[in-house]
Amino acid sequence: MTRKLALSALLMLTAAPLAAEGTINVLTWEGYADASFLDKFVAETGCAVNATYVGSNDDFAPKMMAGGGVYDLITPSIDTTQLMIDLGFVEPLDTAAISEWNNIYPKFLALDGIQEGGQYYGMPYSWGAIAFMYRDDAFETPPTSIKALWDAKSSGKVSLWDDKSSVYVAARLNGDMNIYDLTDEQIEAAKQRLVEQKPLVRKYWSTAGELVDLYKAGEVVISNTWAGYQSSLLADEGIKVTEFIPEEGAEGWLDAWMVVKGTPNRECAYKFLNMQLSELGQCGVANVNGYSAANPAAAKACMAPEQFAALHQDDPDYLDSLMIWTPLGDRFETYLNAWNGVKAQ
Amino acid sequence: MSPIRDRAIGVAVFGVPLLWITVFMLLPYAIIFTYSFWTKQYPTFVPGFQFGNYLALFVDPQYFRVLMRTLKVSLLVSLFAFLLAYPFAYYLALRCKSSALRTWLYLAVIAPLWVSYLLRAYVWKTILGTEGILNSFLMNVGVLSEPSDIFLYNQFAMVVTLTYIFIPFMVMPIYTALEKIPRNLIEASSDLGMRPIPTFLRIILPLSMPGVAAGFTMTFCLTFGDFVAPFLVGGPDGNLVANVIVTQFGTALNWPMGSALAIFVLVIVLAVLSLSDRVERRYSPKET
Repeated sequence: MTRKLALSALLMLTAAPLAAEGTINVLTWEGYADASFLDKFVAETGCAVNATYVGSNDDFAPKMMAGGGVYDLITPSIDTTQLMIDLGFVEPLDTAAISEWNNIYPKFLALDGIQEGGQYYGMPYSWGAIAFMYRDDAFETPPTSIKALWDAKSSGKVSLWDDKSSVYVAARLNGDMNIYDLTDEQIEAAKQRLVEQKPLVRKYWSTAGELVDLYKAGEVVISNTWAGYQSSLLADEGIKVTEFIPEEGAEGWLDAWMVVKGTPNRECAYKFLNMQLSELGQCGVANVNGYSAANPAAAKACMAPEQFAALHQDDPDYLDSLMIWTPLGDRFETYLNAWNGVKAQ
Repeated sequence: MSPIRDRAIGVAVFGVPLLWITVFMLLPYAIIFTYSFWTKQYPTFVPGFQFGNYLALFVDPQYFRVLMRTLKVSLLVSLFAFLLAYPFAYYLALRCKSSALRTWLYLAVIAPLWVSYLLRAYVWKTILGTEGILNSFLMNVGVLSEPSDIFLYNQFAMVVTLTYIFIPFMVMPIYTALEKIPRNLIEASSDLGMRPIPTFLRIILPLSMPGVAAGFTMTFCLTFGDFVAPFLVGGPDGNLVANVIVTQFGTALNWPMGSALAIFVLVIVLAVLSLSDRVERRYSPKET
């Protein structure tokens, strides 16, 4: 209660301007409100869209806590959607108002953090793998295992995402495949692995742009990556890299649109959701970010067959092979502490 | 003027800044201090009164190690900044004969302050990188046969970058202190047969100590709270305490732990300030 009071006092001080009628504020990832497809939506519906971009999933909760009431829609990933529900920031979706709802991969709709207590809170939008990536000219035999990131041959040229997901990577190296349900001992073992790896690490990357810069400047030759995104940015720069899914498997992520509790712009918000799940939004994000679409029906209609195949839209086995991020709940702290402990070494 | 009007002016002149300081400095400190006793509990944290967060600072190696590392980097930056800034300021204040040259040299040191801090830190990446300017230079002159990766993404790079960025804060107070030393004291010392080095050690250095203390304080405290250099040029072992605070407020949603860390940093900064205040008073000319 005291916190709520403190927060509302803070809110009064920062006095967020009231959104005008027909304007929605979205807190999302770069590319998810790209002009290439958004302009058409704005012209057709008359709903204006203000986009604010996050750099990481960790930005959602602090931004919502400090500035609730500003945003109408948010796009956290599946490891953060449950937190949004638990914090009471989002409201159940009126799925009847989303025309293509039933075209979404059923696997996604069943996930924790998308649905809870018989109600849906997140509209799956785009997905992909946390793949691994290497510079072609640095490897004679292409790496196929996570072990390559622990190989002294790449000493000083390894990078890993500065995120709790590094624990998932190290756990798989240890043969612990229950990466979202690790015991304290397994987490400790993963931590030791990461400490072992530290002398080989050039830099832990924290933004997509940073990883691209590290490859470009010749600092890094192997790392994990958001499949499809950084590799295409690097291809634009003329740097040859190859993505791979290691023997130990890869994590999968899924981003979902959520409606902020009590939004005054519900009408425009649902128009926006419908657009994002239609061909316009689904191919929009696929073309801008290189991510796969959550609505395969729309994807099939608007993608060329090559793109449809390249994004694994026709390949349910690929989707099943990914270890889709799972909310860690109160175990999150243990994972994060292990990772912070590695960085403190 | 009527006393009422005097009073109104007094309220306007002192009241507004006082209100500003209360609302934007004291109140936030109080809020942070309160949070530091709360408890982390999923999904966020709950009110409470316990010292666990402070205890963790000393017991949990992940915090203690980072605090020690921050202390080390801050001391190194202050030391290098001092070693570079003092001779420079000495030359400017006491040796440089041309006042135009003095102005230009002084401006040369201060001018980078007008350039964004972020930009200056970023530039060091292009200098120190594996394919950076320093490596190309060393290879051209034949010192290295292949590029070295020892210059960037480690604590060395952080110390170099932060020393460069904060050195104006060391030059300015030392220069001011040296300039204030009455020239006749130095002349009297040599008239009385003191050689230059003892004159420096017994007259100039002590009288410039207030400037040194001020410069040391500023570079130390600015480095202690820095989180950009570790992010840009620091390596896997580059996390400083400010980065950990950012993580606690962001990723971890553990505002209580972040607040305890912030309070601890505040205490260290205040301790350094009071120490430097003592040094300044110890070496300031006594009123007689």
